[in-house]
Amino acid sequence: MKNKKHITCDITVIGAGFAGMVAAARASALGLKTVQVGNSSQLYFASGLFDFLGVYPLHSRTVLQDPLTGLSLLQKEMPEHPYSKTSLEAILKSFDFLARFLQSTGLNYIKPDKENRSVLTSAGTFKPTCMIPETISKGCLLKNDTNLLLVDFKGLKGFCAGQIADVLKKNYPNILTLSVGVPGGNGNLNPAYFATMFEDSSFLKEIATQISPFSDKVELMGMPAVCGINKSLDALTRLEKMTGLDIFEIPMMPPSIPGLRLKNAFEKKLAENNVHFLSQAKIKSPQFNGSEFILNAVNQNMETQIKSRGVILATGRFQGSGLHAQRGCIKETVFDLPVYQPDKRSLWHHLDFFEKQGHMINTAGVETDNVFRPVDTDGTVVYENLYAIGSILARNDWIRLKSGSGVSALSAFTAVNDFYKKNAAGDIDVSD
Amino acid sequence: METDVLIIGGGATGTGIARDLTLRGLNVILIEKSDLNAGASGGNHGLLHSGARYVCSDPEAAIECAAESKILKKNAGHCIEETGGLFVAVRGDKENYIADFPDMCKKFGIPSKKIDPKEARQMEPSLSDETIAVYKVNDASINPFKLSIENMNDAVSMGACYLSHTRIETFKIENKAIVYARVRNQISGKTHKIKAKTYVNAAGAWAGSIAAMAGIHISMIFSKGSLLVTSKRIANRVINRLRKPTDGDILVPGGVVSILGTTSVRINSPDNIYPTVKEVDYIISEGEKMIPELKTCRYIRAYAGVRPLVSMGKGNDRDVSRGFTLLDHEKDQVHNFITITGGKLSTYRLMAEKTSDIVCKKHRVSLECRTKTIPLPSTHSGEWSEPGVLVNDPFKPNTLEDPFLCECEMVPASAIDTVVDSIKNNGGKPDLSSIALRTRVGKGPCQGAFCSMRILSHLYDNGEIMDQSGINDLKYFLNERWKGEQSLLWGQALAQSSLKEMIHCGLFGLELV
Repeated sequence: MKNKKHITCDITVIGAGFAGMVAAARASALGLKTVQVGNSSQLYFASGLFDFLGVYPLHSRTVLQDPLTGLSLLQKEMPEHPYSKTSLEAILKSFDFLARFLQSTGLNYIKPDKENRSVLTSAGTFKPTCMIPETISKGCLLKNDTNLLLVDFKGLKGFCAGQIADVLKKNYPNILTLSVGVPGGNGNLNPAYFATMFEDSSFLKEIATQISPFSDKVELMGMPAVCGINKSLDALTRLEKMTGLDIFEIPMMPPSIPGLRLKNAFEKKLAENNVHFLSQAKIKSPQFNGSEFILNAVNQNMETQIKSRGVILATGRFQGSGLHAQRGCIKETVFDLPVYQPDKRSLWHHLDFFEKQGHMINTAGVETDNVFRPVDTDGTVVYENLYAIGSILARNDWIRLKSGSGVSALSAFTAVNDFYKKNAAGDIDVSD
Repeated sequence: METDVLIIGGGATGTGIARDLTLRGLNVILIEKSDLNAGASGGNHGLLHSGARYVCSDPEAAIECAAESKILKKNAGHCIEETGGLFVAVRGDKENYIADFPDMCKKFGIPSKKIDPKEARQMEPSLSDETIAVYKVNDASINPFKLSIENMNDAVSMGACYLSHTRIETFKIENKAIVYARVRNQISGKTHKIKAKTYVNAAGAWAGSIAAMAGIHISMIFSKGSLLVTSKRIANRVINRLRKPTDGDILVPGGVVSILGTTSVRINSPDNIYPTVKEVDYIISEGEKMIPELKTCRYIRAYAGVRPLVSMGKGNDRDVSRGFTLLDHEKDQVHNFITITGGKLSTYRLMAEKTSDIVCKKHRVSLECRTKTIPLPSTHSGEWSEPGVLVNDPFKPNTLEDPFLCECEMVPASAIDTVVDSIKNNGGKPDLSSIALRTRVGKGPCQGAFCSMRILSHLYDNGEIMDQSGINDLKYFLNERWKGEQSLLWGQALAQSSLKEMIHCGLFGLELV
């Protein structure tokens, strides 16, 4: 028999991805007694860059310089989009909250600018995004005539400085590359382990020795985003001092170290804020007794019964298993909520992977009212205190719009504020 | 360039002809517009028929299959897994077909043995409990990629020349004969002449358009067949439905996976064909009647091939003989031009033999065909594979010096390097797609999401690519994988494909470049 525990709380956040983390952060910051249930966090896959709105309209296939112009057009043309449910002010406030929260954990982010930022990726492409880790920020100094050094590490798969340089050289002719040998390793580096090595001074010194001969030839240096995990900015600054170069990190494919930094930062701070975290747990057969949700969080060796006034559903999409696609239809996995979706499977995907309008399945999801409470097909709120946030929301093709973090932060912030206002705050203004 | 025979088409038939003719002492150049087995030779079940499938519908084909299967098992054993096969009827299948089957097998000399359904379900636990009749036959699975490359390798070792990515531009015809062919290299864009005494059109589904360049009309019918690859091997033997051949009635083991098919859909052109959602669902709904697990198992990929059938009038495409069509265009007033098309993988050697016989007659070469007796050599570079083919590469562990670049299928960097060398030796360009054709890269659950970038970086690292073309290469590769998976994305496969989109569109923004 499994042990069974009972907890009572104000609000339960189901999901430990980005949206769930922001919701738990907000809820605990407001003093709500918060339980968070996570199965497996998708933050390992997150780039660590916070997008707001990078491309709109999709068929234009052009990057938005100014996300606000795109936003006002989107709000006009897509009234059902999560961004259309609220105001620009609320979006900016949610980003502001996020930046302050992360700063308090020691993970520094550069706040949004009027224009989208363009971040160099390991493919040699530039990704439009909004709020970025400070360790990545100096990449924005890159100009066409910059003398740039790109560094890779022997044995770190999927990141080749020469590749980025070759892809860029047409527009950025002054790029030098260097493959750094890793002391004590000669082949297959595990990124998460490798990143921790950068927090070691003697390791940093050995790396710096190999880089220093370039110090006079270049003014800026880019390296894979593996420079430390819990003290990344500190490690990067020390490497800058040792080499005399401005350095920026370049995000690469998962497992993502900036994503891991986020995960660690959230987990640490949320624990300090007394968020009760049930890891590797899934919610089975949730019930509502008229005033509270009864949720059974089940993991390998324990079952916890949670009595909770409100629930924030932040279970993600197919990858996070908030949505499940059977051969014929798409289901929401925890509450079996109605899912907005294309009529038949043949409409889910285009034959062209890169089709400019995106794949219709990526607009499927849970539809909500203006405070992100799931609604039935006729528009009625399903449960008074149930909210759905993040990528599970319908009509937001976040990958193509480059709107993932923005929608997650906004919906998390709005939902928790609404719950707080209705259930705990009385007349207190919680909008800040 | 000058040669005795120019063969057009690098499928099983073309490469088979190349080997047959070189064994008879002729000089041969084989040109292929993309790469080996790009057409139906790569888009099939990989089934070496015992002949039993055709006993009722096409006895001639049945007899040919039985004879050829024996020869190939003897001479090309390293390309074949002798799995054996079962013909399985389930409740509701036509009684008289079941009743006639053993007699017809006997009549045409095809060995078959009745098995008690209970015993059959012990042999193959995945069979339905609705199984009512089972016969054991000599079906086998054959690796069509390995087969073609071994045929080509052997021909090349005897002096033949293989030109990939080379397409016919024009034939120069004078005095009722082709004087030369002008060909274009698809990669460099350069053209040159190839002068041959005889020209063999082995272009499969494209045979009609090649013949048209010589002013000859062949009325082709294109029948698309779609197939699904499961993520693991579901049965040890080939499982056929014991009924008149139709859709979704064969499951063939191919190494670590199984392949379920097919359909027969009339199409207008053999280019750019992919399985549709409707076909996928239909194949599964038919297959699950024999093997219920096919309803719930994970599928990795779907692909399609085109059966090139030569029109003989009416009838539906399944009733048109799957036999081959061999045309000596002397009758069309082009004396040194031969077309071979149609047929099936199982009889490729016979098709090559018959074609080569005509060529030899024209060249006054009296040597008899030798592919019947001389075993097909096994070479090192024949160890590459597409989905569903036998994985018989010796396993190499993931080491620091030689890490896996494709973790799903455990392909180490050294294997990629070997393949890159062999592509370059054959005058090809080592890009992701040509590497994927020759390895199991991209065939696992992640469908290229991770290995594509790792291998691309590896290629840049080794100086194989030195400009921005790698981005287009990556996009092309991902899109080709995608076309094979988009029709069967649900469950776990869908989750994994969203991760792929997350990486390549979300992070790298490849849809914008």
